[in-house]
Amino acid sequence: MFDLSIYLKLGWRNLWLHPLRTGLTVAALALGIAALTFLSAMNDGWLQQIRTNFALTMTGHLQIHASGFQQTLKLARHIKDPAQVMQALDGLAGIHSVTSRLRVSGLASVAGANAGALVYGVEADKERHLSRLAGFVTQGRWLLDSDDRAVVLGDGLADRLQVALGDKVVLMAALDNGDIASEVFRVRGLLHSGVLDIDDLAAVVPLGRAQQWLDMGQGVTDIVVRADDFEQVTGLVDQLRQRLHAGDGSQSAAADSSGYEVMSWSEIDPMAEQWSAFADAYTWIVLAVVILVVLAEVLNTMLMSMHERSREFGLMGALGVRDSQMFFMVIWETVILVSVGSVLGFMTGGWAVWHFGKVGIDLSQFAVAFSFMYMSPVIHPLLAFDSLLGILGAAILGAVVAGLFPAWKAARLDPAAAMREV
Amino acid sequence: MALIEAVDIRKRYRSGEVEAQALNGVSLSVQAGAFTALAGPSGSGKTTLLNIIGTLDRPESGTLTVAGRDVLSLSAAERAAFRLSHIGFVFQAYNLIRVLTARENVAYVQQLQGVSAAERNAVADRLLAEVGLDGMGDRRPDQLSGGQQQRIAVARALATSPDIVLADEPTANLDSHTGESLMQLMQQLNETRGTTFLISSHDPLVLAHARQVVHLRDGLVQEDASA
Repeated sequence: MFDLSIYLKLGWRNLWLHPLRTGLTVAALALGIAALTFLSAMNDGWLQQIRTNFALTMTGHLQIHASGFQQTLKLARHIKDPAQVMQALDGLAGIHSVTSRLRVSGLASVAGANAGALVYGVEADKERHLSRLAGFVTQGRWLLDSDDRAVVLGDGLADRLQVALGDKVVLMAALDNGDIASEVFRVRGLLHSGVLDIDDLAAVVPLGRAQQWLDMGQGVTDIVVRADDFEQVTGLVDQLRQRLHAGDGSQSAAADSSGYEVMSWSEIDPMAEQWSAFADAYTWIVLAVVILVVLAEVLNTMLMSMHERSREFGLMGALGVRDSQMFFMVIWETVILVSVGSVLGFMTGGWAVWHFGKVGIDLSQFAVAFSFMYMSPVIHPLLAFDSLLGILGAAILGAVVAGLFPAWKAARLDPAAAMREV
Repeated sequence: MALIEAVDIRKRYRSGEVEAQALNGVSLSVQAGAFTALAGPSGSGKTTLLNIIGTLDRPESGTLTVAGRDVLSLSAAERAAFRLSHIGFVFQAYNLIRVLTARENVAYVQQLQGVSAAERNAVADRLLAEVGLDGMGDRRPDQLSGGQQQRIAVARALATSPDIVLADEPTANLDSHTGESLMQLMQQLNETRGTTFLISSHDPLVLAHARQVVHLRDGLVQEDASA
């Protein structure tokens, strides 16, 4: 069997016949790969932040509603028997915590001011374990299970109402039957999440009081599940849909005979997923451009090397090297060149990812823009294994593509003619 | 049967509008074990004939049998395999692979045949010793003189134990002393190993060593003188 090690030996030694030229090509490659690695890690880092922030700020990894609730947000479409749903959750692996909520649009009012509000009735202690809401409290305190008429307001809503801790706020909402019901709460805390929808609209009250006020009995609108991690979500959604014979929220309530819809975080708000797809597409475009530019340099280097060594290729042909062996020898040489550049690039880019992953990249000046996207102002690059494989694959594929033309030329050389060249 | 049997070989070269008849019906017979020189001035067709016999080039017409094979009917891949197994080459400009050591250059052809590293290195070392370069296996071509490089080329040509070694102007780049030494070496290898040598040259030194001299002029055999 033919021993491939000669290709490696020849390829490696030929590269260093011209250290400056090879060095420059390797440096260009390394720079490109390092930039791609870092860019990709930035991308992965902030996408991970968006997903995590989105899920943990409030939404959870998945939610169970009565059929049609997510589309209509009508109280009439509520879960009448939460215990039945809780039973379906029993024994499922990969669940971190579960809580129930009552969600309704309403109006917050104080003497001389009122503002639209999104009222959340929550189980105070369970909510603390599931979402980050309690951690966002900047003034006063989070709700206690023993609270009755306490409310925690988003700081933007509080500003608009001109209320402070201890002040009274009247919350109003339409009941199932169309009547308007109101309830008085006292402000016990103010929260700031950085997400405008929460800060400007949220009024968080104890679940029991909200059920009483809105005449819901034991009914809730959302059962929110936090999974151990994102990897568990698809499996959990599938299992719950099976156990509850539930839909995915896309069909109308009338069409869904089960009475439930089970929705993953990305189905509840496709924004994060779309950002992810957009960012991926953007990264791949940049990756393609950088790889193209760098590979043009590789192609140039290989063609120059080919030209200088045409005698040598002619000699090899004369000695009995077959066309196919010649072809693969040049491909190997290109792959070696790109591999050296890639290894250096990954080391440099990897170091930058490691360093900035620790200290973060502070983009606080864009904090307002970021808040719409659930992004934190400090980004921690995080290189996903898939992205690493993508860059590596693109580099190797590019090397092969860049090597094809020189390899084809080498394989077609006429040995006698090539050896006559000086 | 002759090791090389060429009959009425014709070859034309075209360069733009200009056409040159390099071989004009050459017939040649070389017996196994021969030490033959192809003599003639520049442009007489020596290298062209050598390239055709070495399957590096193809004639327009004629028949050619080398080591019992009709080499003109072989495909490109078959010709490459034939060269690897049956023919050793020594070129005017040494033509060693500059990034390989002397040992690696000699072992290269055996590596193409898939011979194990241990075996091919042993063969290479033995051949290097045989051509007077014992202990120089680790040197690169640029660390050796022209004569030493040509000896490595001879060792490489013998590494696969070919039926025939084709040498194209092997002494052209060497001084007379080194050239003489190289010719003595090739003659000795011919006698001890029985390997057939066909050497193209117009160097009197080469012709003096040959047992058979074939004179070419204007693409035709003018004289076939056997010593």
